[in-house]
Amino acid sequence: MSASNASTRDGLTVAPFPSHRLNRWAETIWRIIGGVNVRTKILGMVLALTIMLGLAVTWQVRAVMTRVFADELENRGVSVASDLASRSIDPILLNDTYALHQLLSETVLNHPDALYAFVLNSQGEVLAHTFGDAGFPAALLNPEVMETAEYSLHGAIRHWVYNSNEGLVHEMIAPIMGGKAGVVRLGLTEKRLQAIVDAVTGQMLLTTLAVAMAGIIAAMILTWLLTRPILDLVKTTEAVGHGNLQARAPHWADDEIGTLADAFNRMVAELEASQRAIAEKEQARHMLLKKLITAQEEERKRIARELHDGVGQVLTSLMVGIRTLQRGEAAQQEARIDELCAIAGETLEQVRTLSRELRPSLLDDLGLAAALERYASEFARAHPGVQIDLHCALPNRLPTPIETALYRIVQEAMTNAARHGKATVISVLVSQRHGSVQAIVEDNGVGFDVDAVRRRQSSVGIFGMSERAELLGGTLEIESSSDGTTVYAEIPL
Amino acid sequence: MDLMYNCKMMNCPSRSRTFLMWGWLLILTAGLSGCSSGLAAGPVPFIDLQERTPLPIAAPAEVVHLRMGVAAILSPQGTMTSYSALAEYLSRKLGRPVDLVQRRTYAEFNELVKRGEVELAFICTNSYVVGAQEFGMELLLAPEIGGESVYYSQLIVPADSSAQTMADLRGKVFAFTDPMSFTGHIYPTYLLQQLGETPETFFRRTFYTYSHDRAIEAVANGVADGAAVDSLVLDYALQREPEMAERLRIIHTSEAFGIPPVVVPPTLPPRQKAQLRELLLTMDEEREGQIVLRQLGIDRFIEIEDAAYDGVRRIVQMTGTRE
Repeated sequence: MSASNASTRDGLTVAPFPSHRLNRWAETIWRIIGGVNVRTKILGMVLALTIMLGLAVTWQVRAVMTRVFADELENRGVSVASDLASRSIDPILLNDTYALHQLLSETVLNHPDALYAFVLNSQGEVLAHTFGDAGFPAALLNPEVMETAEYSLHGAIRHWVYNSNEGLVHEMIAPIMGGKAGVVRLGLTEKRLQAIVDAVTGQMLLTTLAVAMAGIIAAMILTWLLTRPILDLVKTTEAVGHGNLQARAPHWADDEIGTLADAFNRMVAELEASQRAIAEKEQARHMLLKKLITAQEEERKRIARELHDGVGQVLTSLMVGIRTLQRGEAAQQEARIDELCAIAGETLEQVRTLSRELRPSLLDDLGLAAALERYASEFARAHPGVQIDLHCALPNRLPTPIETALYRIVQEAMTNAARHGKATVISVLVSQRHGSVQAIVEDNGVGFDVDAVRRRQSSVGIFGMSERAELLGGTLEIESSSDGTTVYAEIPL
Repeated sequence: MDLMYNCKMMNCPSRSRTFLMWGWLLILTAGLSGCSSGLAAGPVPFIDLQERTPLPIAAPAEVVHLRMGVAAILSPQGTMTSYSALAEYLSRKLGRPVDLVQRRTYAEFNELVKRGEVELAFICTNSYVVGAQEFGMELLLAPEIGGESVYYSQLIVPADSSAQTMADLRGKVFAFTDPMSFTGHIYPTYLLQQLGETPETFFRRTFYTYSHDRAIEAVANGVADGAAVDSLVLDYALQREPEMAERLRIIHTSEAFGIPPVVVPPTLPPRQKAQLRELLLTMDEEREGQIVLRQLGIDRFIEIEDAAYDGVRRIVQMTGTRE
């Protein structure tokens, strides 16, 4: 256990040095790769792959060709040398030097890789050779070289390799009649085969270069195809960022980038829509606020007028009546008091109506159903030509904000139906189900263009109804046609 | 701190780093395999092929070589195989090198003897007959085989041939050995003369093989439909390659003629002639010599008279084919 621990620790202490260096390299390479743009990355990738593949294949083909050619050269050398050895027996034994020379010359002439051939007799004297009149390369007969050379054997034929001013030379040494009649030595040069290998290598490198060129063009097109939509997307993003919500990214292709562009466009469209909705709402609120303030002032003015003209007048006449009561006779006083009491009672009724109009106390005391019933009866009194059907199915009291909101919504809807719709029948249904309260106000009026009204933001009433419902998390829908209008409000509990 | 930095840094590029490392390894191995594929492993010597020197002219030998000529009764290679042992034996006995000299044709060879370019020669009977008459070629000895110094001309055909006599070979392809050969050319010509024919009219085609063993092979391989050969060479060939007998058939054997002799040029000093005769005559008396003789397929060398070749002379004269 401890031993294995120690070895692990040893392993750990040895490892960091190269891995640390590798990390540094990796980091550097990563920094370089990460630092350049996509165009360069793709270009680099294509180029690196093409060139690497090209070089590797070229290298391998070159190696294989060299090996195959070397083997082939060796085999051919062996067969030619063995043929030469058997065919030179007769000329040697018959001392036919000319025939021997002819044999060697023709062999060398007929074999493109043969550099030279010569025959030595058993005493080591040169009987014939193909070096011509210029003399014989004496180094080939140097016993020291021949003794130290490394030979590979092919049957009786020895094969060795030396370097010369003609390049690498493979020499085959074939004994004639088992060496009794001498030996024939055949030199083969690699030059021709090397030239073929070089030509093929050059061709392959050229091909690699051509493919790399094609790769560059392909990579440029690819990069353009890839980065163009991305750059467009970036431009569009910047435009949107600067507030131009009309900007749209072009859809180049049905690929991932195309999908991204579509998603982006949808997002911008939604953003624009919601932006517009917010603006509209803001504007409506602004107007509502203005109207609210105006309405408040109107209301105050009305209350002030009511108080001044109604309650004030009555109170003044009461005061005058009380003064005359002080000075009047007792017999008249009783009738006078009754009169004053009636005036006071009337005034009280006036104040109550005023107060109810401001906010029905019934709503607080008895709930929505009772308040609506009272309102309906008052409404009917105020609008004698309108028939009202009210159905309130509420098992118990609702939270005050909901009751208030629904009361005001129904109030507004009914007022609109009577005032703008010229309705003769108004039906109101309030019910509670599935954890929410619905209020439906239906009339048989002339109806109106809901969208146009909403767009114009001219109706504070409609906007107010919506606002009340939405403030409590509910919805308000209005359907209208020439046969009538339905206002549908739903508020979750 | 340092450790943490390290870990954090390794986190992202460690995988790509491994890839990079493997990539380089792959490239390196490919490179190495490419490099090591050359045939010549390790350094090779350098030889300057441009530096040419005239070949040394063979210095006159300090000791005079004995030149032993063997006429092309056998192929050059066969002769080399058979006679090199004799050459070595003589070389040891004489204390000087013995060169084995051969020529393609009998005529060329006779020319060598005539000019004294060989000191000792093994030749065909007709060559002797012609040489003796032309320039006084001297008879030295003759081989003895089975107590006799005679040989025959034998007519051979392929084993599957239907020919029974020379007459059956009409219109066939016939192989002659050498124009000057007695058994291989003159005797078959003589046979045709008896039939009232000449080779040119009788055979469809003829060719020369310039040695008896090649003529035997030509018949055995079906290249020729017939050939006349030296019985000694045929015996020797059949002895060496017994399966050859299955491919050949002898349809005619001549009367006995004097065996091909050993001759010397007329210019050879008598002392040297005597030394050579003595050496060859006593070969069978020692073990070493016996081995060499066995290799030549003969028992020993004996003295022979010129009259032994009268039979050959007669036929040569009859055919008029000297060469």
